[in-house]
Amino acid sequence: MEYIDIDRVKKRMDKRLFINKMVKGIFFASAMFGLVVLAILLYRVIADSIGWISMDFLTGLLSTSAERAGIRGAIIGTLWLMAIVGPVTMILGVGTAIYLEEYAKKGKIHSIIQTNIANLAGVPSIVFGILGLTIFVRLFGLGASVIAGGLTMSLLVLPIVVVAAQEAIRSVPSHLREASYGMGATKWQTIKNVILPASIAGILTGVILALSRAIGETAPLVVIGIPALLIPVPTNVTDNFTALPMQIYYWTLDAVLVAEYANLAAATIVVLLIVLFILNSAAILIRNKFSKRY
Amino acid sequence: MKKFGLSVIAAGLAVVAAACGGEEGNAGQESNGNGGDENTSEEQTEDLSGTVAIDGSGTVYPLMSRIAEEFMIEEQPGVSVEVSRAGTTAGMQRFVNGETDLSNASREIRDSEIEELEANGIETREFKVALDGLTIVTHPENDWATDLTQEEVQNMFVTGNYADDDVVMWSDIRDEWPEEEINFYGPNENHGTYEFFVDEIIEEQDLVDTINLQQEYSTLVSLISEDENGIGFFGFGYYVNNQDQLNAVSIDFGDGPVEPSLDTIDEEGDYAPFTRPVFTNISLNSAKEKPEVKAFAEYVFEYAAGEFAGETGFAPLPEEELEQQLEEIRAID
Repeated sequence: MEYIDIDRVKKRMDKRLFINKMVKGIFFASAMFGLVVLAILLYRVIADSIGWISMDFLTGLLSTSAERAGIRGAIIGTLWLMAIVGPVTMILGVGTAIYLEEYAKKGKIHSIIQTNIANLAGVPSIVFGILGLTIFVRLFGLGASVIAGGLTMSLLVLPIVVVAAQEAIRSVPSHLREASYGMGATKWQTIKNVILPASIAGILTGVILALSRAIGETAPLVVIGIPALLIPVPTNVTDNFTALPMQIYYWTLDAVLVAEYANLAAATIVVLLIVLFILNSAAILIRNKFSKRY
Repeated sequence: MKKFGLSVIAAGLAVVAAACGGEEGNAGQESNGNGGDENTSEEQTEDLSGTVAIDGSGTVYPLMSRIAEEFMIEEQPGVSVEVSRAGTTAGMQRFVNGETDLSNASREIRDSEIEELEANGIETREFKVALDGLTIVTHPENDWATDLTQEEVQNMFVTGNYADDDVVMWSDIRDEWPEEEINFYGPNENHGTYEFFVDEIIEEQDLVDTINLQQEYSTLVSLISEDENGIGFFGFGYYVNNQDQLNAVSIDFGDGPVEPSLDTIDEEGDYAPFTRPVFTNISLNSAKEKPEVKAFAEYVFEYAAGEFAGETGFAPLPEEELEQQLEEIRAID
């Protein structure tokens, strides 16, 4: 008698191999799905924008005429937004992270703060918009200005910076800290001279990622009341402003009035994507170049 | 180690500083450029600065934004006229809070709004800007409902007229029309167009429950253009710019069907029963305190409202009416 029934084994083998292949196919398809949708999106946006991105478009002022309209105001508005969000989130975010990691006792209060930061990161951006409208725009009377928009966005992305900074600080090995204390350094000296320099790459990466999130957000700006038509370029923090995502939003909606606005929206999307791509590449570069292994 | 960290921080600061510096550089050029323009183009009028904040009706927005841009290019390059379009009612809330100088409206101001304004110490006056024909639109392939009588419009949009659950069939309106469900669309309660329709067209009865109300006109246009059984209403301007995607229903007011057009939506035109003036409410406080607000208001009635009405889908007001309002604005001080 045979110990192995080759036919039976072969039958089962085939089935198992078939399932093995099929599962691989399913996973491949799911991986491709997102990619294909993204490719279609990019294709449509780029096809619509061809011929519309020019120097005149980038440096021209906003206009109701599609031929004359430019996004200089929106680009500079977005830069202004970054100029507020960057420093504000860096100072507040790193401050929070240092407190939580270096000073706060690991107890109830610490875990309450920690949980709240995690929760804040999950709050929908439109809620931050309402917060900004109530506090900065109305209560402080700042209007839909650069400073009001910037502070609203800062609140929105603060959790990203805090978490990134905390992780960067936590990854500084304890022997560095202990060596510093051993040399007689105080806590502040240790933070200033050892911990911050060692974690700066991680912190900067977090700040840049937060910036790229902030300049792509639309909902909070819609809520704080950025006008649909605002031509002058902002020159200081109390000026009203518009930003790239707002221009995309309004041009997309107003394409029912002037069909070419759809092309302007597409061209603005391309510009915004390029800015985001540059920012994210910078974040990766900094992380790779400056992160030291201890 | 220390040096490395500081240099990175310094680099970070330099980036931020460069960003700021860049903006200020641009800003400087910008204002210089404006200064030059002002000197060459304007001989007599004084050069103003500041902002004119406008919000309100989405129906009036195309006209007002066109006027605002022209004002900034031709008249006062130093003034920033900012136009939003949250909707008549939503915009009026900002006006009541003193956040805007002008509030566009596609309906008359309500008594309750006047009271709120008074409570906040804001004096205001309502001005007619142009005439808009409320347009009933359908899908371009809808070849049956090309005309409706005024009565049919009133009946079909009112709740409970044809069915308790408001599922109305085209065949309910006229027997020969298809036995398919009508899908109703319209702008939501933020819009003056909604109120005009409810107050004037269906005379304060309730709209059908099945109506799909939207905040954005762009959403309405795309919904109706993709729904063969759709019917909706909005200002003539939003139809004119989408004629390839929508049909305008001709309305029979008793003397045969009338198609809405720039001629028929005139005050004396045949479409007049569905024509309404669109307004802008001007804060007298702003007009008194801010010369740029008054200058803009004068510009609207002296020239721009008549000039740009047609291209943005409105019928202009009669000359005398514009002039009379201009006098009223000139008298403010």
